[in-house]
Amino acid sequence: MSPELLIGIIITLVGASTPILFAALGELVAEKSGVLNLGVEGMMLVGAVICFAVTYNTGNPWLGILSAALASAAVSMIFAVLTLGLSANQVATGLALTIFGTGFSALFGRAYTGKPLALFKSVFPDALATHPLLRAVFGYSPLVYLSLAMVALVWWFLAKTRGGLILRAVGESDISAHSMGYSVIGVRYAAVAFGGAMAGIGGSCFPLMLTPQWVEGLTAGRGWIALALVVFGAWRPIRLLGGAYLFGLVMTIELYAKAGGGIAHVVPSQFWAALPYLATILVLVLISLRQSSNTSAPACLGKPFLPTN
Amino acid sequence: MQFRLEKRQEPSRFMLYATPVAAVVLTMVLGAIIFTTIGFDGVGAVREIFLTPLINPLKWQDLAVKASPLIIIAVGLSIGYRANVWNIGAEGQYIVGALAGTGVALATWEMTGWWLLPLMIIAGVAGGMAYAAVPALLRVKFKVNEILTTLMLTYVSVQLLNYLVLGPWINPTGYGQAQTRLFNADQTLPYIIPGTIVQLGTPIALIVALVAWVLMSKSMFGFQIRVVGLAPHAARYGGFSENRTIWLALLVGGGLAGLAGVLEVAGPFGRMVPSFPTNYGFTAIIVAFLGRLNPLGIVVAGIVLAITFVGGQVAQTTIGLPFPAVGLFQAMMLFLLLAGDILVRYRLRRVVRLPAAGEVA
Repeated sequence: MSPELLIGIIITLVGASTPILFAALGELVAEKSGVLNLGVEGMMLVGAVICFAVTYNTGNPWLGILSAALASAAVSMIFAVLTLGLSANQVATGLALTIFGTGFSALFGRAYTGKPLALFKSVFPDALATHPLLRAVFGYSPLVYLSLAMVALVWWFLAKTRGGLILRAVGESDISAHSMGYSVIGVRYAAVAFGGAMAGIGGSCFPLMLTPQWVEGLTAGRGWIALALVVFGAWRPIRLLGGAYLFGLVMTIELYAKAGGGIAHVVPSQFWAALPYLATILVLVLISLRQSSNTSAPACLGKPFLPTN
Repeated sequence: MQFRLEKRQEPSRFMLYATPVAAVVLTMVLGAIIFTTIGFDGVGAVREIFLTPLINPLKWQDLAVKASPLIIIAVGLSIGYRANVWNIGAEGQYIVGALAGTGVALATWEMTGWWLLPLMIIAGVAGGMAYAAVPALLRVKFKVNEILTTLMLTYVSVQLLNYLVLGPWINPTGYGQAQTRLFNADQTLPYIIPGTIVQLGTPIALIVALVAWVLMSKSMFGFQIRVVGLAPHAARYGGFSENRTIWLALLVGGGLAGLAGVLEVAGPFGRMVPSFPTNYGFTAIIVAFLGRLNPLGIVVAGIVLAITFVGGQVAQTTIGLPFPAVGLFQAMMLFLLLAGDILVRYRLRRVVRLPAAGEVA
């Protein structure tokens, strides 16, 4: 394998993993606070369409990312009000959010079908990315560096700060956190909003770095893979990063196989397209084999909290 | 004025059935307002989506055709949801069931006989069950969350469908178009009302709902499912196996989704095509909840959702409303229903604040 091909594969896999990494990081924080939001796919789609629309109309991708984060955080508040305010079933509400996001993005994306969007330019001067080795360091979309910074930030927040400690306490034992005077519901609202914003940024990766044309349902289940990734990462940000790149590799195999070469002709292309989903299932099985029970999941995950009763 | 939520002694039966109705009505009101604010003809959208299909008798046959698969799938899902088994991959089981039926149809394409259709239906149910057996096995043996596995398998099933209709099952006389042969007359569902498009799938849907209602409300099986969902500890104490319930819930859900799939491919489609997946499996989740996980409620809910589908097509042609708007209306309906759930378990009480001693002048 030539070094150029290897570096090409690395760049592709990092790109393919970045949206999942953003969304999974956000979901990790929400789940750490005890909330299971199955609406990731829907929030990503909302982020994707808002980012596309704003970037297309203003020409400013940063504004697109910001709007996507705000829009998806706003949409996540529907989920928060229902599950936290009215203690509705989290599974059903998350599903409803995904159905909502799918409809929303399809409705508002129609106006942009077939319209091209310029890819997000690198923040580094072109000269830095000429040599293949330098390209492996400097040749990514700004979103990739942002995602890495967010991994560090989330890790630091959860492990090293007082806020992170409170968030984890709320997810592990809501009743104790409540009796210590912390607002369980308030913390969870914030965690869900953060999860929404991150899913929105994850969604904005699609128009800005992966599919520079509007395609309906362009996230293709990546939001669900992000949910699986949180389990895979055992609710730890650094492990999540490794897991995301592993999924990226599987998706890259699909791209290279489709482009033609070697075993691609023996195995039908649909198999490669199905591979990330099959790999997700395999990974979930392997994880549960290793951890005899799901001990690393936050103890209050998915359970409603009603302080007055 | 302040309000406080107070837990009811028992869930309110009135609210249990009133909230879905309120959710639909509120969706119409809020939908009209929201769609008007974002620049569509909001009132027109609500009229075309919710009322036209109901008022126009010519549309009733479309409602029957759309509602049937939704009812069959949702009945299966509701049994699982009652037991807290979250099969959200009915779309995949629906596709695989249809593929299994298609396989039988293609293998027997040159044959005739009354037995072809029953054989296809059995294959469809078995296909759906087999596809749901994978997440059941993974959940029981490895404690893998069925939400994620059923969903991942849905994406896999779409690829399987594409592979089959583009490859081994492609119509040999179809000039390379990605579709199978048209099923023969003995492999297609008969029309049951002359002059309409209503096929055998509609009475089957009603029978499925009725049988499920009797099973769930009158039999030990139904009792067991409900106990496992409501009180897993009590269920274990009572000797109900949690694993057996998981198996049952997923096999019934998968089998019924498979049944809906084979009825759809042998009915309205008449052959397998890449555009076969139409999200019935996902919409059925809304139907199950809107019908309060009760088979008879699901029949009504299935018709309501069918109205929005048929109405969405009407609105597309009459007022130019893009079809995805229907998805927004459906999601809004589910949101409002879930929001109303709290009224089933709690009542709203006005809090009368007594003036504190210091405040009295």
